[in-house]
Amino acid sequence: MSTVTTTPEAPKASGSRRPRRTREVASTVPMSTFLWALAALYAFPVVWFLMSAFKPGSELFRYPLTILPEDPTTAGFELAWDRFDFFLYFSNTLAVAVTTTVLTVMASAMTGYALAKYEYRWVKVFFVCILATTMLPTEVILSPTFVVIRDLGMYNTLAGLVVPSILTATGVFMFRQFFVSIPDDIIEAARIDGAREIGIFFRIMLPMSRPIIMTLAIFSFQWRWNDYIWPLIVVGDERKFTLQIALRSIVGAENIDWPLLLAASTMSIVPLVLIYVVFQKYVMNEDLNAGLKD
Amino acid sequence: MKRRLVIAAGAAMPLSACGFVGGGDGDDNTLRFWLSGDANQGGGFQAMADKYEEETGVRIEIDDVPYDDFATRLRNAAQADGLPDLARVTAIDSIWMNRLQDLTDIAAEHGIMDNLLVENADGEIPTIPTDLTAVGMFINKSLFDSAGVAYPTTPEDIWTWEEFIAALRDVKAGTGARYGLVMDASSHRLRSLMYQFGSDGFVRNDDCVYETDDQAAAALELFADINDDDIMPRSVWVSGDDPNALFKSGQVAAYYSGSWQVADFTQNIADFEWASVYMPAQERRATNLGGGLMVAFDGSKAQQAYDFVNWLYSAENYTEISEISGFLPVTEGLDIDYGDFQTSFDMYNDEVAASDPISSHQITSQLEMVYAGETEAAVEGDPIKDEAVKLANGEQDVPTTVQNIIDGLNEQSGSCG
Repeated sequence: MSTVTTTPEAPKASGSRRPRRTREVASTVPMSTFLWALAALYAFPVVWFLMSAFKPGSELFRYPLTILPEDPTTAGFELAWDRFDFFLYFSNTLAVAVTTTVLTVMASAMTGYALAKYEYRWVKVFFVCILATTMLPTEVILSPTFVVIRDLGMYNTLAGLVVPSILTATGVFMFRQFFVSIPDDIIEAARIDGAREIGIFFRIMLPMSRPIIMTLAIFSFQWRWNDYIWPLIVVGDERKFTLQIALRSIVGAENIDWPLLLAASTMSIVPLVLIYVVFQKYVMNEDLNAGLKD
Repeated sequence: MKRRLVIAAGAAMPLSACGFVGGGDGDDNTLRFWLSGDANQGGGFQAMADKYEEETGVRIEIDDVPYDDFATRLRNAAQADGLPDLARVTAIDSIWMNRLQDLTDIAAEHGIMDNLLVENADGEIPTIPTDLTAVGMFINKSLFDSAGVAYPTTPEDIWTWEEFIAALRDVKAGTGARYGLVMDASSHRLRSLMYQFGSDGFVRNDDCVYETDDQAAAALELFADINDDDIMPRSVWVSGDDPNALFKSGQVAAYYSGSWQVADFTQNIADFEWASVYMPAQERRATNLGGGLMVAFDGSKAQQAYDFVNWLYSAENYTEISEISGFLPVTEGLDIDYGDFQTSFDMYNDEVAASDPISSHQITSQLEMVYAGETEAAVEGDPIKDEAVKLANGEQDVPTTVQNIIDGLNEQSGSCG
């Protein structure tokens, strides 16, 4: 993105530099234009969605369609706030997302470290087994997982949402690959200095893996925040609904209250946007690792 | 070391938050009531629950479950032994069918319409409808008026489908409207069309085989003819375009839908005038009824649940909830004040009263089949809708469609008792 924001230096009188600067501009302008066009393309549905949330119901399907609300209103937001216990759903979702994220990061870091740094044959076999679980789509193990959770007495509890999501092969794999890249010499040196194994992990390895921790934390939070199918199955009590399930109740049998749904959806994305703003640089870095899945 | 503490504290805090671990069944004076879409219907059940708690001290805890997931949720709850005490469902499921209380006395005491009640094999009535919805017609009054086209305002003037379609063509010609009619892509609406043609739709005969009549074919013929991207846009049936949105855009002269749209239109249409009008009657007046079904489970609080249902259907309380939620009543002789919706609901109540008894067939036949244990469908889907989509798309002609629907329905139905 740096090409977009680079402003050309103030022109100097020297004639010999002109051709190079012209060339620079010639390559920057089309590139920037392209990127801006791309950004606009991506922004369009989001902007339309946000603008629509401020439209009264009568404007939503007006022909011809407009982007900007003619008669802006926050009635949808007031109704959404009034009709739904947003605070409750936010705190439920937050509790699930934060707890899962913390536990996932801990479990993945420990597992990944063990798989990377302890050389036993069965550890490698175990690693292959963990990797194999990524071959099973979540939907396939949905039913057996439900039975386990039910028999553990976690049906209709928020703990039932957290427990099955703690171990992810993706997280383990990320940490293992990272720890493999760290030279064993560091561990050897620490051992010679008298550090215990647990100390090596917590005081040396974990701090070093901060980028991975942040990345996995962001992904895990995002997965849990947007999770729909699992909470739907496990939680039956409205007071334990997560935000995504609560939003779903707006969609009725025969018709949809669009102004309400748009406003409520807008409110539901606010926390994720805030997190993105705060941790922007990590997200930007790590989204490049495309192909990660829950 | 400090880091470890922070992490541990972070993990423990939300866990200890109230209700995180453990079911929390509530106390003995609380009933759990599952339903779908109450908030969207004005919150009638919630209001009645509040009133009931005020009067009796029994708390009714309402869970508004997303409609599309409601059946799944109940099935799972039945398997996990987590059924609520009360529910308003759209269909009875054989998984929890045997856990229902008999509501015969309530139905008799409060005069629930007879044609909506179905007895099971033991002579019990496990469910009674909470409210009715009916298929109906909306027109864009502004378009009709500006084209100078009249529409029936008394039952004597009710038009046939041909007259109606001709009127739509006039409106289109006179105003430049994009389409004449949109119709929900639903077999429920299609059945109502067949009923109006004098057909009984697709029904199962004594030999346990589905059959139909010539009038159904005539209705499908009309349906195929008007799906021509001129009167009706094919996109609604074939590719899932939203007819409600199309009608709201003001580009369509009429919308064949139902009573549940009234509240939405009252609130969300400001650019033109709309009206509920009499539906065309080819051979006879008919609609197709739907609505919620009240059930009380026979759990540990069975008696309390039963008492609430009994209380709810008393004339005073049932009138109140009908007014709040805009329900078409399931009992006769109530004086209900619908406020802004009065004109439309008078129309619907008139349609329901004047409709052929076939109009409640879809509700009752489904109950009959599930009570007889015949709905363990091996094949999912809705043959009437699926085949009508192919018909609308010009993939097959009417006789083929009729045959495919019959084949599909026969394949779906279980063995007859």
